[in-house]
Amino acid sequence: MNSQLVVEVSGLKKSFGKFEALKDVNLTLHPGELLGFIGPNGAGKSTTIRVILGLIKATGGSAKVFGKNVWKDSVVIHKDLAYVPGDVYLWPNLTGGQTIDLLLHMSGQKHTKRTDDLIKEFKLDTSKKNRTYSKGNRQKVALIAAFSTDVSLYIFDEPTSGLDPLNELIFQQKVKQLKDSGKSVLLSSHILSEVEKMCDTISIIREGKVIETGSLESMQHLTRNAVTVKTAKSLGALQKMTGVYQLNFKNDQQTAAEFSVDSDQIGSVMAFLSQNQILQLKTTPPTLEDLFLRYYHADNEQKVGE
Amino acid sequence: MAQYTQTFALLKANLKRDWLKIVVWLVVLAGIFIAVAAKFQGIYGTHNQIQTIAQTLRSSAMKSLFGPLTHASLNTAIIFATEMAVFWAIFMVIFNYSLAVGASRGQEESGLTEMVLGGHPVGRLAPLSAAALELLVADGLFAIITGIGMTLANMPGSDGSGDWLFAISLAAVGWAFGMVSLLFSQLVADSHNVAIYNYAFFGVTYLVRMMTDVSNPDYTWWSPFGWIEKTNIFISNNWLPVWLFIILGIAAFAVAVVLNVNRDIDAGIIQVRGGKRRSGFLRGPATLLFWNQRSVSLFWLIGMALLGTSYGSVFNSIGKLVNDSPVIKQVLGQSGVRALEKNQILSFVGILGIIFTVLAIISGAMVINHLYTEERQGYLQLVNTTPHSRYYLLTTYVLYGAILSVVVLFATMMTTMAVGNATLSHPLAIKYYYRIFAAMLPVLALFLSILVCFIGVMPRLRSIVWILLGGAFIISYFGRLINLPNWAMKISPFYWFNKVPIREINGEPVVWMLAIAVVLMVIGYVGYRRRDYEN
Repeated sequence: MNSQLVVEVSGLKKSFGKFEALKDVNLTLHPGELLGFIGPNGAGKSTTIRVILGLIKATGGSAKVFGKNVWKDSVVIHKDLAYVPGDVYLWPNLTGGQTIDLLLHMSGQKHTKRTDDLIKEFKLDTSKKNRTYSKGNRQKVALIAAFSTDVSLYIFDEPTSGLDPLNELIFQQKVKQLKDSGKSVLLSSHILSEVEKMCDTISIIREGKVIETGSLESMQHLTRNAVTVKTAKSLGALQKMTGVYQLNFKNDQQTAAEFSVDSDQIGSVMAFLSQNQILQLKTTPPTLEDLFLRYYHADNEQKVGE
Repeated sequence: MAQYTQTFALLKANLKRDWLKIVVWLVVLAGIFIAVAAKFQGIYGTHNQIQTIAQTLRSSAMKSLFGPLTHASLNTAIIFATEMAVFWAIFMVIFNYSLAVGASRGQEESGLTEMVLGGHPVGRLAPLSAAALELLVADGLFAIITGIGMTLANMPGSDGSGDWLFAISLAAVGWAFGMVSLLFSQLVADSHNVAIYNYAFFGVTYLVRMMTDVSNPDYTWWSPFGWIEKTNIFISNNWLPVWLFIILGIAAFAVAVVLNVNRDIDAGIIQVRGGKRRSGFLRGPATLLFWNQRSVSLFWLIGMALLGTSYGSVFNSIGKLVNDSPVIKQVLGQSGVRALEKNQILSFVGILGIIFTVLAIISGAMVINHLYTEERQGYLQLVNTTPHSRYYLLTTYVLYGAILSVVVLFATMMTTMAVGNATLSHPLAIKYYYRIFAAMLPVLALFLSILVCFIGVMPRLRSIVWILLGGAFIISYFGRLINLPNWAMKISPFYWFNKVPIREINGEPVVWMLAIAVVLMVIGYVGYRRRDYEN
């Protein structure tokens, strides 16, 4: 049983009328794994998750959770699953506290000390009516209910889009605790750094297709840092260093440069830079946008080559 | 004036969004109105026809439904005005309510108002003013179309002033109630509650109108809804009510403006209170539905019981024969008169059965509709990912809606009986009330099943059920007065029980109506299990 895949999606297709939302989605989530599912807005993350949850029916391919058909056996699957949507809408007339209790009851769970702790940690005023909550507070309600649910699979669909950095940190801690206690987690996001920090495996989706899946290490090439630097001495030697790409000097003396560098080479490059007396230094991790731009370019080049 | 900046731009946007809704309403409201006017001479053209219908209209039952017929010398146009005024005013109010809520609170709920006010140089009062102007445009169009149509219909006894007074007063009553609705939109923070306030206000004004019409028409001035009767169209053509409507509308709008300036966006003047931090009661979809619906359900029960009470209170005057000349009394004898009077009350109970059933269906259908609106609003995505099947969810809503409908209908019939029998010297046997109640159940099941079928298969078209219900109601309530042909009467499910409670229920229509209901229900269930959730 333990070796059984928690989520197994292969060749998944979904059309809405003529629009093909999902063309070819493949995902696997092993027990105890934390799978990051990233892609830009409209790529099909939520659609995939909604198929996995049995809310909408796949047009082709197969999707299984705990080895069961997500559409036919949705009720059985939902017994062992917790879900937090990206846009949480709650019944306006209930208070946050009542909603948490309701959600727990519906999943066959109980309001425990853990629930109270979560309410304290997320600093949620549970006596307020849902209609008065901001987006972030509604998300907290759903997150508290999900985190105090004891099941084996947790699905989060862009859960931190309304949270401030402090609450985002709490979220990351809680997800780590889930992982430490052997739970499986599917986390969709368009924020690369969030996924990078937490996930074992990452799947990238673009225009309804999963285009890359792998561990963080195997995707190291995706995590090049962009460096902007000014030094006192010339940086001409950078051209010959390994792991340095897209080098661009900003002046003739070659003391100001922009380039990107592989994460595993950053140590040696930094050492070299400091030898030349750094005046200014800025490094930024690549944004998801850069990543997708690269994929677009790759696609175009391929087309030219064909 | 800066706070009204861009009102016209918003008005244009509103009209662009609502034009189809407005056109459909106008075609139906103005179209049927003019068509009836054009056909009316054929129905009530001769002196004899007019005298016969006048007798009917003078009875208390008809007074309570249509308002009093005061004038002595009658003609076709006066009969038309008497039959149509109250009836059409109801539709105008519903039309304006639906527009007003959508353009004010509905728009704010969807986040549109916030975007428009927050990020663009638009005055704070512009959305409210645009909503008011939108109603003015819609009602103005109705007045113009209807006025021209009435002039062309040229009924015997009509005159230009009366034609236009009729058209404008109907537009004015709708507009004024729409303005009151804009006022309520400032008080509470969601469109659902605004609708409750709206219909509570309408209900009270309608009941006051009905009670005073039967007891003493002078007091009808106390109800804004009653003003529509005071126009005395084609008799004295009194324009005062139109001015009263305009004053009421402007006053309501002024109050709405003051309230709007003093409230935050997305909030109501009436503050939302905090509540309990824990709940042991809420355990699943069923308890959640009960929790969310309990106050509305109670509202329906009390409102309908009040309606039953007020109809019951006029039973003794309905029983009185209009033509109670000594000669007739002598011919019929004591028992003959009593039998005739009893029949008169019984057929009134039959009409009440239709009215109450339509309202009871609305109460239940609104609950079942919630299954879809909650799906669209995204509330259900957290329920649908818990271990409850779609069948269970649908059954929860259908059962709650059906039970509410049946209970509301039963309670209304029983309060009518209790109060009605108290006013009669020879009370009606309870079996008659049970009979009409039982006869209405298949109709109720049919309409709720149609709705379930739509929600399961084509939820976006679910509003068709309101058109069907409204159509059936108009045919059965109004068809006889405008001499609708028999085949048209048969379209309405109510037709098949129109002899109840005087006669026994005919078993055949019960069987096929329930059979259709079951088939539709099954289609709805299968469809609901198989379709995608929209949110």
